[in-house]
Amino acid sequence: MAADDDDESGYRWLNQYEKSWEAIQEDAQGGLQFVDDDFIQRARRRRLLAQPGNIRLGMMRHLYIILDLSKAMEEADLKPSRLFCTLKLLENFIVEYFDQNPISQLGIISTNNKRAEKLSELSGNPRIHASALTQKEKPNVCQGEPSLQNALETAKKSLRHLPGHASREILIVFGSLTTCDPSDIMETFESLKECKIRCSVIGLSAEVKVCKTLATTTQGTYDVILDEKHFRDILMQHVIPPAAKADAEAALIRMGFPQHLMSSTPSLCLCHLDSEWNKEINSSGYFCPQCNSKYCDLPVQCKACGLTLVSAPHLARSFQHLFPLAQFTEITTDEESHQKNCFGCESLLSKNLIYECPECSKRFCFECDLFIHETLHVCPGCSSTTSNAVIIKT
Amino acid sequence: MAEDTFRRLLVVVCDLSPIWWGKQAANASENSDKMQPINAFLNNVLVFCNAHLMMKHTNELAIVCATSSKSQFIYPCPEDVSDANGEESYGNMDGKYEHFATMNNVVVDKVKNIIEEESADDVNLPENSATLLAGALSMTLCYIRQAERNCPVGQSMKARILVLKGSQDVSTQYMATMNCIFAAQKNNVTIDSCLLMSDSGFLQQASDITGGVYFKITKMESLLQYLLWMFLPDPNTRESLVMPGAVQIDYRAACFCHRTLVDIGFVCSVCLSIYCQLLPRCHTCQTRFKLPSAAMTRPKKKKKEKTAD
Repeated sequence: MAADDDDESGYRWLNQYEKSWEAIQEDAQGGLQFVDDDFIQRARRRRLLAQPGNIRLGMMRHLYIILDLSKAMEEADLKPSRLFCTLKLLENFIVEYFDQNPISQLGIISTNNKRAEKLSELSGNPRIHASALTQKEKPNVCQGEPSLQNALETAKKSLRHLPGHASREILIVFGSLTTCDPSDIMETFESLKECKIRCSVIGLSAEVKVCKTLATTTQGTYDVILDEKHFRDILMQHVIPPAAKADAEAALIRMGFPQHLMSSTPSLCLCHLDSEWNKEINSSGYFCPQCNSKYCDLPVQCKACGLTLVSAPHLARSFQHLFPLAQFTEITTDEESHQKNCFGCESLLSKNLIYECPECSKRFCFECDLFIHETLHVCPGCSSTTSNAVIIKT
Repeated sequence: MAEDTFRRLLVVVCDLSPIWWGKQAANASENSDKMQPINAFLNNVLVFCNAHLMMKHTNELAIVCATSSKSQFIYPCPEDVSDANGEESYGNMDGKYEHFATMNNVVVDKVKNIIEEESADDVNLPENSATLLAGALSMTLCYIRQAERNCPVGQSMKARILVLKGSQDVSTQYMATMNCIFAAQKNNVTIDSCLLMSDSGFLQQASDITGGVYFKITKMESLLQYLLWMFLPDPNTRESLVMPGAVQIDYRAACFCHRTLVDIGFVCSVCLSIYCQLLPRCHTCQTRFKLPSAAMTRPKKKKKEKTAD
């Protein structure tokens, strides 16, 4: 387990009864706030600091989520149950994943009753995955034992054929402490390693040797959650594209940039052709520059000719990972500066928790520092001065 | 409207690029002896701002100015106004609502200061230096974030940004601007853009992605009317109004090698640079590519590349 989790007390049942009302305090304006706000926020910042910069990332991700649907997922140590909690968090994860990795793909595999079942194929459409997950949101879904090997083999079958430049990943959410496999699982691990598939595991109960071996052999990560919050934090770390393997291939990928056009005649689009309902005939849409098929939404892989269709802003969304913003330094000394207000939000800077951009040496308050690094990815100071206005665009 | 508990925050981002306004002034002085264009512009904007504040007592306002060398908040201003010029000089404006009178004076003073500072040190500015839109937008988003945080309990804030811009876009600000747009989209901040005389590709995308209105004004005389008709109603009210139709936005990408718009391009799998033809090596990140199938047809060329290094 990571070192920064050590300060939280170990097992939940060893804790005192949680007096959540005592952690609330009234601030100067009469608003309620958590006493340990400061502490939580420092932890968030520490996590940001841990992110490495300037390494090659696997931008075109192909990720399979393996979801354990065994009896163990019915446990109620997460509220209301492990399954429901996981499904809710995964829904958020999928939204975030496609927001930050717009040209990546995702698929979901479930495992129960010693079998593995593909809930959704690899695709770039978040709605398909979300609806696959909501189908499992009912009682008596969790049955029998999971089979790690079967699930991994299912994922491997579709991931191994991907081109060399793609980043192949499996994320396993595992509640059970056991797995029921048809043959030697170590051989599966070796073959996954050969296929350069990175497997990460999130354990919901306790550390399991077989999961740990899987993660270390395939250079993934293995985490066991403490509580729901910790679960969410760990899951969200998988939104950030991982470092690419040293021997990963690079390639130029052919992509289409269709324009949103109005055609004179209304027509059906290719993306809604499969769905029974909601067939819309309209005249506007994106037309594949290669085969002229129509789509209502981007990004999409053309069903007729297989060309990946994206728009320039989709590629731009990934720049925040490729060109990360430099971390601000915390000002600890009492040195006076002429700058009394935070450069971002104009609020008065307090004595402590002041952060300074190393580039433009403008000062920011704690909240702005977090916002700038988590969401904005632009330093207001650097982009407000002419000398620094040219930001890494070679 | 009892159920409406939103505090509406409007942040106006004004482009005060001295070069652009200078050109406008030069044009205007040729034809007539009317008011300086920037004065007329400022008057219109202030009327619009007052109108926004008058709509509801919970409405809030902020104004940010962007020039080619800096971006700055001009209202609410960080320094205490009263000690700078004295409260009295602002207060007595025969019959005018005091709050508005103060605000208007603060804004006019600030703008004067900015322009004076600009003219003092803009001698060495290149002709094509552009307004720092990204800087102003990022400051605005930080401010909105802070305003949302400080919102009284039980109320929620709905913020939107109105950008008034005349000068040209510069491609060096592309990444910063796009990041701002995505952050705005994530925080449900609408970006409306009102362009003065010339179109802007950045703001077209900004308004389209965040669901705002994009409009180009061709006559400065009609600025106020457009502002009041189109940009005063909040996004919810707009649904019941007839707004100008959405513009066709060109989302095609420009290739990094020739800066031409491409329909089908090649994207580097490592750094996502866009090229219009196959290359053996990425210009941006220096990665060598394994050429697909093309390598089979042109083995000679690949060999040459290797020996050249």
